[in-house]
Amino acid sequence: MERTRTVFELDISVIGATIALAVIGILFVYSSGVASDGQVVSREYVRQIVWVGTGIILMIAVTFTDYRIFDGLAIWIYAAALLVLVFTLAFGRVVNGARSWIGVGSFGVQPSEFAKVATIMALARYYRGAGERRTTLIGFLSGGAITALPMVLVLAQPDLGTALVYIPIFLVTAFAAGTRIRYVVFVIVLGTLTTLSMAVPVWQEALFGKTQPWVAVMTDVAVMRFFLIGVGAALAIALAATVFLSRRVFYWVSYLLVLVGASLPVGYLARSVLQDYQVMRLIVFLDPYVDPRGAGWNIIQSVTAVGSGGPFGKGYLRGTQSHYRYLPQQSTDFIFSIIAEEWGFLGSTVLFVLIGVIVYRGIAIMARAKDHFAAFCAAGIVGMIFFHAVVNIGMAVGIMPITGIPLLLVSYGGSSLWTAMFAIGVLLSIHQHRYQY
Amino acid sequence: MADYGRNSVVPAGRVAALATVIAIVLVLYVGRLVDVQIVDQVLYSARARAVSQRAVPVFAERGLIYDRNYNAPLAANQESFAVTVIPAELPAEERDQVFTSISRATGVPVEDIRSRLPDSRGAVYQAIEVVNGVTLETITRLAERKDELPGVSWYSKPRRVYTEGDLFANVIGYVGDITPEELQVLFNEGYEANAVVGKNGIEQEYDALLRGQAGQRNRTVDARGMRVDDSEEVIPPEHGLNLVLTVDRDLQRLAADALGERIGSVVVLKPATGEILALVSYPRYDANIFLDANGREQFEELALDPRSPFLNRPIQAVAAPASTFKIVMTAAVLEERAFPRAQEVHCEGSIQVGNRTFNCWLPYGHGHVDLNNALAQSCNVYFWTVGSEYLGVNAVIDYCARLGLGQVTGIDLPGEVAGLVPSPEWKEQVYSTRWVGGDTVNMSIGEGFLQVTPLQMASLVATIVNDGTTYRPYVLAEVRDPVTGRVLRRVEPEVVRNADISVDTLRGVREAMRTVITDGTAEVVITTPAVPMAGKTGTGQTGREDHLTSWFVAYAPHGEDVGIEDQIVLVVKVDAANEWEWWAPKAANIIVHGYFEGLDFEQTVADLRQAPKPLWYM
Repeated sequence: MERTRTVFELDISVIGATIALAVIGILFVYSSGVASDGQVVSREYVRQIVWVGTGIILMIAVTFTDYRIFDGLAIWIYAAALLVLVFTLAFGRVVNGARSWIGVGSFGVQPSEFAKVATIMALARYYRGAGERRTTLIGFLSGGAITALPMVLVLAQPDLGTALVYIPIFLVTAFAAGTRIRYVVFVIVLGTLTTLSMAVPVWQEALFGKTQPWVAVMTDVAVMRFFLIGVGAALAIALAATVFLSRRVFYWVSYLLVLVGASLPVGYLARSVLQDYQVMRLIVFLDPYVDPRGAGWNIIQSVTAVGSGGPFGKGYLRGTQSHYRYLPQQSTDFIFSIIAEEWGFLGSTVLFVLIGVIVYRGIAIMARAKDHFAAFCAAGIVGMIFFHAVVNIGMAVGIMPITGIPLLLVSYGGSSLWTAMFAIGVLLSIHQHRYQY
Repeated sequence: MADYGRNSVVPAGRVAALATVIAIVLVLYVGRLVDVQIVDQVLYSARARAVSQRAVPVFAERGLIYDRNYNAPLAANQESFAVTVIPAELPAEERDQVFTSISRATGVPVEDIRSRLPDSRGAVYQAIEVVNGVTLETITRLAERKDELPGVSWYSKPRRVYTEGDLFANVIGYVGDITPEELQVLFNEGYEANAVVGKNGIEQEYDALLRGQAGQRNRTVDARGMRVDDSEEVIPPEHGLNLVLTVDRDLQRLAADALGERIGSVVVLKPATGEILALVSYPRYDANIFLDANGREQFEELALDPRSPFLNRPIQAVAAPASTFKIVMTAAVLEERAFPRAQEVHCEGSIQVGNRTFNCWLPYGHGHVDLNNALAQSCNVYFWTVGSEYLGVNAVIDYCARLGLGQVTGIDLPGEVAGLVPSPEWKEQVYSTRWVGGDTVNMSIGEGFLQVTPLQMASLVATIVNDGTTYRPYVLAEVRDPVTGRVLRRVEPEVVRNADISVDTLRGVREAMRTVITDGTAEVVITTPAVPMAGKTGTGQTGREDHLTSWFVAYAPHGEDVGIEDQIVLVVKVDAANEWEWWAPKAANIIVHGYFEGLDFEQTVADLRQAPKPLWYM
C-alpha cells in the first residue's frame, strides 16, 4: 500500500506507554539513589537516562525496519545468541553469584536478556515454517527444544529467574501457533506439580504445623520408587485401555498419571540442586517471619514499603523504607516497591494501566498480523513483557517467590531496557508494516 | 481491521483466551494491591516506622577512683570507641574480608575479632563488640569505608585508664568485657552483654557503685545502620559513683620503691581505724595494656608468668610467719602467766624433743635469756621450751584465734585467703597422724603448718598496738557523687574482734618489740632517726639455704605517750623466691623514715645516709 501514510500509522499508545514507563523508571531509579538526608548516593539514574535515550532511538530504528528481515536472520541471530551465552558461561563476569555478564571495564551486558528476543524470533521462524506440524506433539517438542537450549545455558550461570522467563515465552508463542491446549496445560501443570513436590517437603512445617508421613513420597527415594512403580503399572493399563478400548477417558487418565509420575522425580532432582538460599526463599515465601532478618527480609521490607504507601503514597522522594535503604536492590528487583510506597495505590494502578496498554496493544498487533512470523513474534514478546511484570510485581507484593527478575522498561539496567525497547520496536514494526505483503 | 482474528493467523478464540488470562491476572494483582495498600495500610505504616528505630547504648561514665588525698584520680576514663558487628547483616562470604579490614585499621589480630562472634549459625542481630578501646582516628578511617563494611558499626565507649600504671593494680584491679559466664551470674543484677565489668580489686568489689547505668539513644537508621536523621530520643546514662580510697599514693610509691623488684608484699595500715595506707604486691601488671591492640596476648602472657603477677600477695600469698609469730607467743606467755617474764631459759643452741634435735639459729646458743631478750634475739630455744613445756598447743591455737590468724581479715578486696592455724584435730583429719611434740615445737616459732598472709600479720600487730581491739582493714573510704563531689557515704571503722588480752600484757609485748630494734636482731638495719620503731624480724625456712622468706612486722612511732592516731603498722614480706638479703627490715626502715619525714624513695635514701647511724646497705 502507500508508504507515505506509515508515519501516521504509528501505534502512538504503545510508544506513549513505553516512554512513560521508561520515564517513571528514571524517576524512581533516581529516587532509589537518594539517601534520607537528600543526598544522591547513586549515579545510576544518569546511566539509566543514557540507556533510555539510546533505547528509544533503537526502538524507533527497529520500528522503521521491516520486521521481515528478522525472519530471514532469525536462525543466525539465535545461533549468535547461543554462542554468546556459551562464551558468557566460559568467560563471563560473576555478578550477584551468577556468571551472567560479559563486557569490558565498567561497560557490560547481560547476554541472557538479549537471548530472550533471539529465542522469540527463532521460535517464530520455526513455527512459521512448520506448517501443519505446528499443532502436533513434534512441533511442540521442537519449539520446546529451541527454547530449552538457551534456557539451560542461562540456568547454568546460574540465573534461575531469567531462565524461567523462557518458559512463558515458549508457551505463549506455541499457543499462538496453534499447539494443542493440552500440551500447554501439560507444561503448566507439570511445572506446578514439580514446584509443589519440590516445595512441600520444606513447606510442610509452615503448612501443616508438623511433618506429614505422606511427604516421604517426595523425599524418600525408596518410597518414591515404590510409588512410581505403581504409577507406571497404572499408566500401562491406562495406555492399553486407550489403545484397545478407544475411550477418551483412558487417554486423560494416562495424561494425569504421566504428570504425577514425572513431577515427583523432577521435583526431587530440582530440590537436590537448589541452593540453600533458594530453599530458604521457598520457605519464607509462605512465612517471611521464619527468618525476618535473613531470607525473609526482602519480602517483609518490600511488602511493608508497598503497604505503607497507602492509597496516595508518601510522595515522590519521601518513601522511608527506600531512602533509609531498607529495601535491597531497590533500583532493579524491587523498584515497584518504591513506586508503590511513594505514589501509593494510585501510582501502582497507573503503572498497571501502562503495562496493560502495551500488553493489550501487543495482543491486538498479534491478532492483526498478516503473516505467521509477525504474529508469533508478537505473541512471544507479549508473553515476555507480561511475565516479567507479573513475577517482578508479584514478588514486590509478596505473592511470588523471590526470583530476581527486572520490571521491563522500569528497572535499572541497560541490557533489560534495550531488550524491552528492541522487542517493542519489533512489535511496532509489525504494526507499521501490517499492510505490506 | 477492527475485528480481531478475521483473516488472521492466530485464531480469534486463542486471542480472546490470552487476553482473558491476562485480564484475570491483572485483576488479581489490583486486588492484592487494594489489600496491602488500602485495607492493611495502617498496619504496614506502623511497621515501617518501628523497623527503622534502633537503640544504641550510651555508656555510663565509670566512677573515678581516688586515693585518700582526693586530688588526681588513680582510675579515670578516656574517650574511646568500640567497633561492633551485627552478624545477621554481615554476609558470610564477606566476613573474612570485613574482619581483615577491621584488623588492619585497629591492629587487632583477625582471630581475636572472629572469636568474639558467637558460633550460632542463626541470625544474630544484636551488635557485638569485636574491638574495644579504639581511637577516634581509627573510627574515622573505618567510617570512610563504611560501604565496604556491611554490619559494622561503632559507638562511644569510654576506656578505663589507670594513671599510676601498675602501682595500684593489685588494689584497684582492672575492668574488661563481661564474659558469657559472668553474664549468666550477673544478668539479674541488670548487666547486659557488651557491659564492662570489674575483674579484680576495687573495680570488682565495688562494681555496682562504679558502673552506673547505661543509657540509650534511639535513632532512625537505615538497614546498614547508618543514621538517617537528627531526631533522636535519648535516655541519659547514670554515671557511676566516685570512690575515694584509704591508700596514699606517695606512700604506696615509696613502699613499692623500697621493696623494689623483689617478689613480695608491703602492707601499711592505721591501727586506729584499719585504713589501708599502702598495699604493695610485686610483681605487678599494668592493666592499661589489656586494651591495647595485642591486649589479649599480653594478658595471656601475664597469666602464664610463673611469678604470678595477678596474685595479690598481701592478701593471697600465705607463708609461715616464722619468728614474727613469737609476738603471739610473747602475748600468750605474758597473759597466761605460763612462765615468769624475768625467768631465764638457758639456750645452748639446740633442744632435744623426743628423738629429734631442734637447732637454734645461733649455733652456740644465746646463753641465758628472759622473755624480752628471747624476743629481741629471736631465740628459738626459749620459745620451744615455753611453748611445748609451759603453754601447750591449745593455748597457742587460742592466741592465734584471738589475734586473727586462720581467718580472713574481711578487707574489702576480692580473693583474700584465710591462711591456716593447725590443730591436733586438723592434723588428724588431713594427715591421719597424731599431733606430736615436734609439731608444737615447730608451731612455737611460727614454722610447720602455720600459714599467714602479710595482711593478717599487719592486723595482728595493729591489735597489739590497739590494746586488743581489731579493726577490719579496709580500702574504701568514701563514696562521692560524680558531679557535685558530695560525700554520699563515708565508711566507718569497724571493730571485728577484741583479743581479750590485758593492757599490761600488750604493753609488755610492745616493749619486747621495741627491744628488738634497740637491742636485738633488727638493731643494725633499723637506722631511721625519725621515729622510734618497734617490730619483729622473721626468717622463714624453706629448705633451701640461700632462699628464705624475710619478714618484718613493725609499728611506729613506739611510745606509750604516742597517740594511736599517729601510729602506723607496717609489714614487709620478701618471698623466698628472691636471693636472701634480709631485705624486709631494710625496706621497712626506708618506708618508715620516708613516711614520717615526707620524703620520696631517693630522698629517703639520701637522708638516711646522712643520719647518725648511716645507712650501710644502699
